[in-house]
Amino acid sequence: MEFKLTEEQVLIRKNMREFADKYVEPIAAEIDENSRHPAEVFKLLAEGDWMGIPIPVEYGGAGADYLTHILAVEELSRSCASTGFTVSIHVGIACMLVLLNGTEEQKQKYLIPMAKGEKLGAFVLTEPGAGTDVMAATTTAVLDGDAYVLNGTKTFTSNGPTGDFYMVFAWTDKAAGRKGMSCFIIPRGTPGMSAGEHFRKMGLRSSQTSEMVFKDCRVPKENLLGKEGAGLVMAMAGFDHGRVGIAAQSVGILQAALDESIRYSKERVQFGNPISRNQAISWMIANMATDLQAARLLTYNAAWLKDQKQVFSKEASMAKLFASEAAMRHTIKAVQIHGGYGYCKGAKVERLFRDAKITEIYEGTSEAQRMVISGNVLR
Amino acid sequence: MPKVVACFKWVVDEAYIRKGAGGALDFSAVDYKISEYDRNALEEAARCRGEGGRVVALAVGGPEAAKGVKDALSRGADAAFLAADPAFADLDPTQTAAVLAEVIRTRIPYDLIVCGEGSGDRYAQQVGPRLAENLGIPCVSYVQKLTVAAEGGRIVAERRVEEGVEVVEAPFPVLVTVLPEINVPRIPGVKDTLLAARKPVAIVKKEELPPMGEAKLETLALAAARMERNCEIFGTTPEDIARFVAALQRQGAIG
Amino acid sequence: MAGIWIIAEKKELAMELLTPGGQLDAAGGGRLTVVVPESEGDPADYIAAGADEVALLGRLSEEMSFSSWLPALAEEIKAADPAAVLLAATFRGRELAARLAARLETGLASNCLTLAAGPDGTLVMERLAYGGAALQRVAVTGRPVMATIPPRTFPPAATVPGREGTVRRLPPPPADSLRVLARKEKERSAQDIAAAKTVVCVGRGLEKREDLELARQLAAVLGGEIGCTRPISEELRWLPENLCIGLSGVQVKPELYLGLGVSGQIQHLTGLRGARLICAVNRDPHAPIFPAADLGIVGDLYEVTPILIAEIKKARGG
Repeated sequence: MEFKLTEEQVLIRKNMREFADKYVEPIAAEIDENSRHPAEVFKLLAEGDWMGIPIPVEYGGAGADYLTHILAVEELSRSCASTGFTVSIHVGIACMLVLLNGTEEQKQKYLIPMAKGEKLGAFVLTEPGAGTDVMAATTTAVLDGDAYVLNGTKTFTSNGPTGDFYMVFAWTDKAAGRKGMSCFIIPRGTPGMSAGEHFRKMGLRSSQTSEMVFKDCRVPKENLLGKEGAGLVMAMAGFDHGRVGIAAQSVGILQAALDESIRYSKERVQFGNPISRNQAISWMIANMATDLQAARLLTYNAAWLKDQKQVFSKEASMAKLFASEAAMRHTIKAVQIHGGYGYCKGAKVERLFRDAKITEIYEGTSEAQRMVISGNVLR
Repeated sequence: MPKVVACFKWVVDEAYIRKGAGGALDFSAVDYKISEYDRNALEEAARCRGEGGRVVALAVGGPEAAKGVKDALSRGADAAFLAADPAFADLDPTQTAAVLAEVIRTRIPYDLIVCGEGSGDRYAQQVGPRLAENLGIPCVSYVQKLTVAAEGGRIVAERRVEEGVEVVEAPFPVLVTVLPEINVPRIPGVKDTLLAARKPVAIVKKEELPPMGEAKLETLALAAARMERNCEIFGTTPEDIARFVAALQRQGAIG
Repeated sequence: MAGIWIIAEKKELAMELLTPGGQLDAAGGGRLTVVVPESEGDPADYIAAGADEVALLGRLSEEMSFSSWLPALAEEIKAADPAAVLLAATFRGRELAARLAARLETGLASNCLTLAAGPDGTLVMERLAYGGAALQRVAVTGRPVMATIPPRTFPPAATVPGREGTVRRLPPPPADSLRVLARKEKERSAQDIAAAKTVVCVGRGLEKREDLELARQLAAVLGGEIGCTRPISEELRWLPENLCIGLSGVQVKPELYLGLGVSGQIQHLTGLRGARLICAVNRDPHAPIFPAADLGIVGDLYEVTPILIAEIKKARGG
């Protein structure tokens, strides 16, 4: 067993670090404050092949492995969790869905521009009444001649207001239960599909989130992704990939929290000494560093399994569960270490704290991860 | 189109140097990087190559410098030469220039050699001009703008001098040292890094080169430079700033 | 230390180098030779400041660069065999020094801040390394010992009227393969930053190019010049490169340096080591410029600067 990244992975991670320091870190507070999608950064990300790292070169990607993508998401999230997440869901779910399930025509038409970063992907599954309980969804797709007609309302759609290609899930045969849902690729501007207003969120504020409304939205038959009825299986496989990304995002947040806590605790003097000399503080930092290491190893392990073409569903859930909860647990401590300063705008830990919370919620709540994991180990 | 050689040095990233006890420098946790100035050299070499040209990245250093080769290749070079040996780890500018000259003279056809103005670690600013002397070619240093003449065979370079800028013309083969403002070095994209792994790399061992001369510059000591002052911090209210201005006056800094 | 040579493009630089040159010469009892272009004033001034010999470089044609003196100077130095050669660390001086050192097969200590003969007579020099984070003490093992010394490192040498010395003129060398096509003077506004008494320096904290006006106003009130950090000149190109302060830019030695939104990277701080009073306005209390400063204001430069301008005017008026 070898615990070592390849030379290329090390370099790519370093390059992303430099990219994030140069282009993302300086604007992270501003895009959080203004809930702004930094289109200028995504243009640069596209130029550096960061928007399709694990997608083969012939489909517009960089042709690297999934772990390399995960390293990039981690480093990007260390500067800005929103930007890291947008890359993660675009690549890990939208691109991967088309790569794994698309026809050659669909790959040419949709995957290539997405993997090149020219078009942004979105994943449209959750509904107001159907979160973890996916089966409670009500959006339908009815075949009418050469097109499916979609009706229903989706919510919490990441990249809803900014996306170009939407991976939309709807019932083609509700009676068929788990085999009754299908997935459609719907380009922005398709009549009958509209994005609602960008939600005002606690954290992850520069990631754009909205409702998606489908009203007699006609989608050509050829936009059906995968087989009719295979939607749910595809969505679950999509989640497996996406969850490793959320784990990486959490690791990035946690690393940033640790960086900030180390720096501040060594500089902040109380009672004549830097507070890092107080055991109460140094132990918080020790716990943070330890959980970071554990979270990182779980995350890399899940990505590595995926690259080895092994089943990684349970490991993806474990990584996401542990890393997201560790990020939340320790960003609370990071704010505590910063005291009043950490509670104020302008402190990076304040943003990290708000951003961390979502990692325990989206792409399956911590509770949903425990369902997946327990389902696996109690089988 | 020109055959270009870009020289680079694999240096300690100064951000990782810590100040140890008693003003000593602590190198125990350092990471390495391509010297910042040499990133400009690599970028400029890639820019000058044009269609049909070729860029060879070249470095001399200890065995650890091998780690810099893929990095250099991801910045636009087509191939790399590395003179690597434990004995090459800490050469003085005379020796560095001598080894580079030897490798170039015997192994790399060239029209143009591009070096950074100095290295990110010792910043002696000697290797470029010395290398030109060793090869017996003209040297244009501190260049902020470089053009390969359309008809080929020569360069036009804008170089910084104290009074402003001197625009000079020089025939191939020629060496230039470049200033950081000449370009903005790329942050290599993912594909650049992956492609770098497939480019040819030649390692030149010490035994393959003629014996190296003695160092002419000896380092007697290396200690942390003291920059610290006792900073008095003021707030931002008009009263605070008035006190700040009063302090400036007390120090005689404003009339 | 028998025989010292000093080579400089400008009179004031030669006069500065005569300070350490004279000290070394006094210790060694050799001849002190100054090499300057013939356009650089009265040779008697160098002799009064300690030179025994002045070698004047004849006027070059417009198309020739200073570096065309290289072969002639190398021959001159070989023939004279001085113990040490000191050059002003200007752009041209640094290139010439390195190339001379290569031709003379000797060592060169670049950008020296100090130089002094040790107990055994060895010349020991101090210089900065690692972006300014380290001080490196070096000695040259070849002969002559060569060193470049940045402008304003030493005060001009004191002059003693009535000293005697010889003057000779070196004829211009033949043209080499370099051809100077044009010379562009730098902008007038950028002339004096290295010699300015007061420098207001802007850094990344500045949000827009237009906001330079705020720094200009402050500089005007203080009667100072404006400078910048590398990102401002190199990446944003809001100010010319010759206003960039730092290790590879201009080294300033003002009475007052005031940084606005300057974080204080080591490479920048190195350029203001010689400032008497360093002040900083930055909203990040952890900015590395503060430990290197004498006075600091932790706050938004947009909020602070107008008040600062008003308070300075008030203090002046009162």
